[in-house]
Amino acid sequence: MLLGMLALLTPAGGVAAQASGSAHLVIISGLSGEERFARDFVAWGAALAAAAESRHGVPSANVVWLAEDAEAHERIRDRSTRANIERELRSLAGRAGADDRVLIVIYGHGSYQSGESRVNLPGPDINAKDLAALLDGLRTQRVAVVNTTSASGGFIHDLAAPNRIVITATKSGMEANETVFGRHFTMALTGDAADTDKDGRISLLEAFDYARAEVEREYQRGNKLLTEHAVLDGVGDGKGAAELAAASPHAQAASSFHLGAVAAAALNAAPELRALYEAKARIEGAIAALRARKDTMPAAEYDGELERLLLELSRNGQAIRRLEGGGS
Amino acid sequence: MRAALLAGAVLLATAVVQPACARQQPGGPAEELYRTGRYDEAIAALRTRDDATSRRLLVRVLLDTGRYEEAESAALAGGSPDAVPAELANALGEALYARGKLQAAEAAFARAASSSAPDALQARLNLAVAKWERGERDEAMRELDAFIDIYNDGTARSAEALTAVATAVSYLGIRDPQLFHDAVRAYEEAAQADPSLAAPKLREGELFLAKYNSTDASALFREVLAVNPRHPVALLGLARAKAFDGTDEAMALVDSSLAVNAAAPAALTFRAQLHLGLEDYESAVRDAERALEANPASLDALATLGAVHFLRGDRGAHDRARRRALELNPRYGRFDVTVAEMAVQQRRYTDAVEIGRRALELDPESWSAHALVGLTELRLGNVDSARRSLEAAFTGDPYNVWVKNTLDLLDTYPQYVTRPTARFELFLHGDEADVLALYMSELAEEAYDELSQRYGARPTPPIRVEVYPSHADFSVRSVGLAGLGALGIAFGNILALDSPAARTAGEFNWGSTLWHEIAHSVTLAASRHRVPRWLTEGISVLEERRARPGWGEDVSLDFLIALKSGRILPVSDLNAGFVRPTYPEQIIHAYYQASLVAGYIEQQYGERALRDMLRAYADGRTHEQVLRDVLRTEPDAFDRAFDAHLRSTFATQLAALDVPARASMARGPAQVGGEFVTALRAARSALEAGRLDEAEQQAGRARSLFPEYAGADGPYLLLRDVHLQAGDTAAAAAALREHVARRESDYDAHIALADLLERLGDARGAADVLERAMYIHPYDAAVHDRMAALYAATGQHARVVRERRAILALNPVNRADALYRLALALLDAGDRQGARREVLRALELAPNFAEAQELLLRLQGETQ
Repeated sequence: MLLGMLALLTPAGGVAAQASGSAHLVIISGLSGEERFARDFVAWGAALAAAAESRHGVPSANVVWLAEDAEAHERIRDRSTRANIERELRSLAGRAGADDRVLIVIYGHGSYQSGESRVNLPGPDINAKDLAALLDGLRTQRVAVVNTTSASGGFIHDLAAPNRIVITATKSGMEANETVFGRHFTMALTGDAADTDKDGRISLLEAFDYARAEVEREYQRGNKLLTEHAVLDGVGDGKGAAELAAASPHAQAASSFHLGAVAAAALNAAPELRALYEAKARIEGAIAALRARKDTMPAAEYDGELERLLLELSRNGQAIRRLEGGGS
Repeated sequence: MRAALLAGAVLLATAVVQPACARQQPGGPAEELYRTGRYDEAIAALRTRDDATSRRLLVRVLLDTGRYEEAESAALAGGSPDAVPAELANALGEALYARGKLQAAEAAFARAASSSAPDALQARLNLAVAKWERGERDEAMRELDAFIDIYNDGTARSAEALTAVATAVSYLGIRDPQLFHDAVRAYEEAAQADPSLAAPKLREGELFLAKYNSTDASALFREVLAVNPRHPVALLGLARAKAFDGTDEAMALVDSSLAVNAAAPAALTFRAQLHLGLEDYESAVRDAERALEANPASLDALATLGAVHFLRGDRGAHDRARRRALELNPRYGRFDVTVAEMAVQQRRYTDAVEIGRRALELDPESWSAHALVGLTELRLGNVDSARRSLEAAFTGDPYNVWVKNTLDLLDTYPQYVTRPTARFELFLHGDEADVLALYMSELAEEAYDELSQRYGARPTPPIRVEVYPSHADFSVRSVGLAGLGALGIAFGNILALDSPAARTAGEFNWGSTLWHEIAHSVTLAASRHRVPRWLTEGISVLEERRARPGWGEDVSLDFLIALKSGRILPVSDLNAGFVRPTYPEQIIHAYYQASLVAGYIEQQYGERALRDMLRAYADGRTHEQVLRDVLRTEPDAFDRAFDAHLRSTFATQLAALDVPARASMARGPAQVGGEFVTALRAARSALEAGRLDEAEQQAGRARSLFPEYAGADGPYLLLRDVHLQAGDTAAAAAALREHVARRESDYDAHIALADLLERLGDARGAADVLERAMYIHPYDAAVHDRMAALYAATGQHARVVRERRAILALNPVNRADALYRLALALLDAGDRQGARREVLRALELAPNFAEAQELLLRLQGETQ
């Protein structure tokens, strides 16, 4: 099994905010048990590690992958023993900047017994409380933990903390069947399909929503009862939720945690381009404000104003793309 | 009909209650002979006795065995009614009542009731029931209500008295349904008081059946039959329970009952109703009239006779029967309920509602009439009035599971939406309405045009199509209960069917199901709802086959087994295959056979023959008349000719199958041998061994022997595998095309064929196959995306738009992208305004969606 962690990412907001901090990804793949799982976990870890660097701009040195078999892929740094995990997380805590973001993704099999949730590792397992203790070293950073294992639901409660997002493949430790959430979550971060707002970045919320929907679809296609119900806790309440309304605190937190650095070039851009980015932020704000008032406005008035703003934003976007050489 | 059990059962029950003496001498030889069903010996023994107890029992045995005249004589013992001793007055009353001599019977009951005879309480009950049956319900209720006091003051201690109390209380339940529980308790106390007494068990069984509980009813009837296997009332009760359960054993059981008492009006009436269900009017009339010969005052027999006359179109005879019944009981709403129930069985829904309402004018407390009107109104699509009737029915009879289930179903209707088309009103669940409507509206309109033209009848729009994503809900909508095996149902202009979401992908083809039901709507309209079941089903399956390649039932291995084993019904009995199948597959065989009959009629008698037959049925002609007048043949000759046609059609297949003489349908096709099976096995072995030429040859041989067989182990998939291994994609695609042309529901095969066709560069062919797959499982967004690409490649812009709409309807995670692609499709289709609308919707969700921004600017005319 694995646990993987991706760190990263850029919070939503203006140009300046997008540039702050570095991103780190830690992938932990635990015991596989069967060849097919071993193949899957290596494939997912490799895809995620590659995408972190190539798609999302995470520096190679900030990507750490620990796996059952250290020889299974060239990107794997070491075996995913508990000791190695402790070593890597302590090391990360020592070098990460205060504004950095850390994403930890765990693949593998989990278990739940006597109130204790575990991830099965080569050698001693690691449980949720052990992991929570290790994360204490990352208190100032924004941390997201995605546990895709079976019976992972117990991690929601034990890892809950401020400034931390926790996603689990199951809603409780009792959902102990093999999960497919990990595959779909990986696809969300390694492809374009989950980028539902088309801003070129994938937020944790987008990845979660995508994976959750695809899990349901896979079970439906196979005519199976859904035996895994993923949840997300964005506010540290230790409970989380599955269906996340856009305005919910969980969703707000997860939507501001992005994989993918954006337009670092914008910060160093020529004044003309910088002005366009500032205009873009202004128009986006106006659109967001308009959408918030939608239910209180006559439909025709809303539509007219929305169209005007979208046209303005489209012209702005086109101008930015031209200046950045993206054509249009 | 079910409600009649309660009312009609009274005389049955009184007929089986044994005189008190039987309890006093439980081990006496005559009593024992009677108790165990040795009736002739019991009669002989009792004729040697002259005491009142023995004479009461003699009357009872004679009544049970249908010797009504002798029973009356035995009670009179040569005297006049007034001279009969009080101890025999009730027995005389029952003998007179059984022969319809109501006034004299009531006089006898009154005399016994006012005496100290051991059966005075029974006489009091009989008197109250007689008033009830005359329509004097309020007075009867007052007298029956007194039985509660009798129970409460503890004077009803004997089994006979407790049985009488229970029966009285069961009548009172019409106004207080909770009293049915008290009736059951009293029957059980009676059975405990004297376990040898059959009456409380029989009456309790009848009550359970009247309250829709055939399981407990059957157990009680079986308990009686364990002691007396010839008990005519228990046999009749069990027959009714079996009919309630929808099994085919009812007819044999009622025949057994009539073997003991050939003149029993209740059994004859019930058998007449069974005949009516099979649309065998002659037999139904014969039995109903025999019942009336035995008892000219039998209300149930009159009602059944009235129903037969109504369905045969003889309104005069129907009206005469109704007048007779109402002269006996001016409040006898049951007459109209019986006619209405039979009309429903024959799909005459509008008539049924009208008649049901007439019943309510006579008897507003007829909860069965309220239920019938409500359920039938729903079949006519009148949801609001249906709900009102159903709620009234449920208030009066909360045990009616059909009504309860249907009301629960109606509570889910706010989750549905209505999508109108030119001639249809699609009633779809909100979760799937957007995607289903895309395909359903187009198909429904096509079916309407094609079928109405062929059969010369245009059902008056709108036709309402209700589609249920839960099979249980569809089942309740269809028959009021869960568990119906069907996929669709037609009530004329109201159709209901399973949505593809109700079943696993590959279990059925909703497109062919919808086509089938629309065909019913047309043939019902063409025949004014008089088409027999076998013909409307046959035409519907035939039309499925015409609609699309592969649609509609084709010949199956088990049909051929049944044909070879002599289990296929003659056309004249084909209705029985639908109504009371005698083996599990028979109803499927009946559908298929009926379609062959319809095809045979067209082939032999011309394209207009079916249309002409429907018109003849509309004119009220019987099956026999239709065959004579339209086809110019006799029923027997037609049966023989069709049988010869059937055997000739499948001569090759039958010769290639070795079916054991004692073939069992339960054991299925596994028991079949012969050349076809041998060839299939050889092909499979050769394929597994890599001998591709031999595998192809053997599979080809199997195909030529039984070309219709397209099972998972059939020749077409074998040939597909052979060709794929040989690297011949075109041949593999051809084999798979043959397979899907016979397997309308094999979703995976459709997708696999589309894959092969795409590999061969046949975009149009691939799109066509995927189009057909949508009639099986329209919920896979990836397939819609693929279809959109294929249609775009072949310039079918309208279809690209439809596919893009389908993807949106499936609620994709990436909704902005789906809207953008829809906008592009609309633009390609020439709809700039639509494209603008959709791209704005996309940008509302994802304002920085670069491609959508570019499209918006392009639509604005700011870029190219």
